Amino acid sequence: MFGLIGHSTSFEDAKRKASMLGFDHIADGDLDVWCTAPPQLVENVEVKSATGISIEGSYIDSCFVPEMLSRFKTARRKVLNAMELAQKKGISITALGGFTSIIFENFNLLQHKQIRNTSLEWERFTTGNTHTAWVICKQLEINAPRIGIDLKKATVAVIGATGDIGSAVCRWLINKTGISELLMVARQQEPLALLQKELDGGTITSLDEALPQADIVVWVASMPKTIEIDTDNLKKPCLMIDGGYPKNLDEKFQGENIYVLKGGIVEFFNDIGWNMMELAEMQNPQREMFACFAEAMILEFEKCHTNFSWGRNNISLEKMEFIGAASLKHGFSAIGLDKQPKVLTV
Amino acid sequence: MHNELKITDMQTLESNKKTIDESINPISLDLPDFTTDSYKDAYSRINAIVIEGEQEAHDNYISIATLIPNELEELTKLARMEMKHKKGFTACGRNLGVVADMDFAKKFFSKLHGNFQVALEKGNLTTCLLIQAILIEAFAISAYNVYIRVADPFAKKITEGVVKDEYLHLNYGQEWLKENLSTCKEELMEANKVNLPLIKKMLDEVADDASVLAMDREELMEEFMIAYQDTLMEIGLDNREIARMAMAAIV
Repeated sequence: MFGLIGHSTSFEDAKRKASMLGFDHIADGDLDVWCTAPPQLVENVEVKSATGISIEGSYIDSCFVPEMLSRFKTARRKVLNAMELAQKKGISITALGGFTSIIFENFNLLQHKQIRNTSLEWERFTTGNTHTAWVICKQLEINAPRIGIDLKKATVAVIGATGDIGSAVCRWLINKTGISELLMVARQQEPLALLQKELDGGTITSLDEALPQADIVVWVASMPKTIEIDTDNLKKPCLMIDGGYPKNLDEKFQGENIYVLKGGIVEFFNDIGWNMMELAEMQNPQREMFACFAEAMILEFEKCHTNFSWGRNNISLEKMEFIGAASLKHGFSAIGLDKQPKVLTV
Repeated sequence: MHNELKITDMQTLESNKKTIDESINPISLDLPDFTTDSYKDAYSRINAIVIEGEQEAHDNYISIATLIPNELEELTKLARMEMKHKKGFTACGRNLGVVADMDFAKKFFSKLHGNFQVALEKGNLTTCLLIQAILIEAFAISAYNVYIRVADPFAKKITEGVVKDEYLHLNYGQEWLKENLSTCKEELMEANKVNLPLIKKMLDEVADDASVLAMDREELMEEFMIAYQDTLMEIGLDNREIARMAMAAIV
């Protein structure tokens, strides 16, 4: 069994979905009611790989909504309770989707192993970041040439370079793609210097300096609230890969010859027959999903029951290659620009 | 598409930097001072509720046995366990030098107690089990789970032992209701509609005292809903039925 832990993108959205699912007791409730709502196992599903193997899985809604981010105790409980439910249901490998892995990491949930009468077994969970990082790199490699960017001559900026996904993307770009130049941007300078040393490459710079130089920008940090970007200063063409969460870059970067691609989203080769990705607001909800969710499915297909992506800066090239090969084998592919015709208006 | 989340109104983890840093503090730093007058005053009521709750549980299981005589042995065992818990919690109060306010506790349980007695007289076993084996047990287990995190070391140890037992007999009522679900569902729903709001009121009534003990109302309610939902799910109700039942908690 694989599991996916997710949440709604906003409180209003969550209420609408709860009403759709018949969870009237929380659909009608205010944010306080949601703060006391237990996680819900919303759906069970069977998925058949391109190789013919079938697996079963469950989608668990943590009942977390982004409006709870300022209430750290609530946010912490939502994630831990959803994880406990996944484990109690006997799920072997569960991906932490959306904000839940960020909360796990930033609120230091590793110290909360005991949840009621359940001792959480970390090996049952994955952040899915290895697959997400691999998918973002593939999206970059495949889509840049399609809009006339030659990778060998391209300058790539990674915003959020020191994060788990960001550092993995930098590692891959330096070692596997032959790009011309890598610009690394992050808030904290010390880890940036360490990363540069590890990679033996890449240039540390600021966001303002990086953007006008970059042919390709990979965003794997949450956007600062106040950021103002002058699209006139961007290179044309420019490929923006929105690998952060939530995906809201396309609102900031509309313009001629600026291509915004939703990063870290994969498409399955077949219709899955579930409702859960409609909840995640995918464009083609029967096939598309977050790459982190797909990682749990891939690990289940591979009978690889381990916390494959865990902690920070543990994503090696070998792990990315492993998950990438398995991803393709079982029928996943990274979504490309043609999935978003509206930004193709050049 | 996450177009409902505008960058301008999106909360980011960055904007909550302060709360994140605070969260890294070891949990033990959140423990209240057990020696203050305000702590002891609140404890006199909370402790009494717990002691009375265990006594009621004991009496209720003995009463339930009169409705299902062939379960007498099992239920007597349960009742004895509840008395053991009562003794443990009495010791917790004594350890802090607190005299439990038993009059308050009796009044606190009076409505639920009354409803149980009426159901017992009418021989409504389903209602009796809903009140004791689902609602009171879930109420107790949720309070204990929250209390363990902020209790003094003596009470923490006692409560941990109690919680282990409580998980056992939550199962007992569950098993009976599960086996008889087809015939008892309607009564279960009806009884729930009447009694779940009482639990909600009881929780609200005790919230201020609980917060003095560093027990958060929101957390108590969530723990209760988790225990309640778990039990109903085990009994064999589906998501929608559980949602309909839980509805009674928010009206």
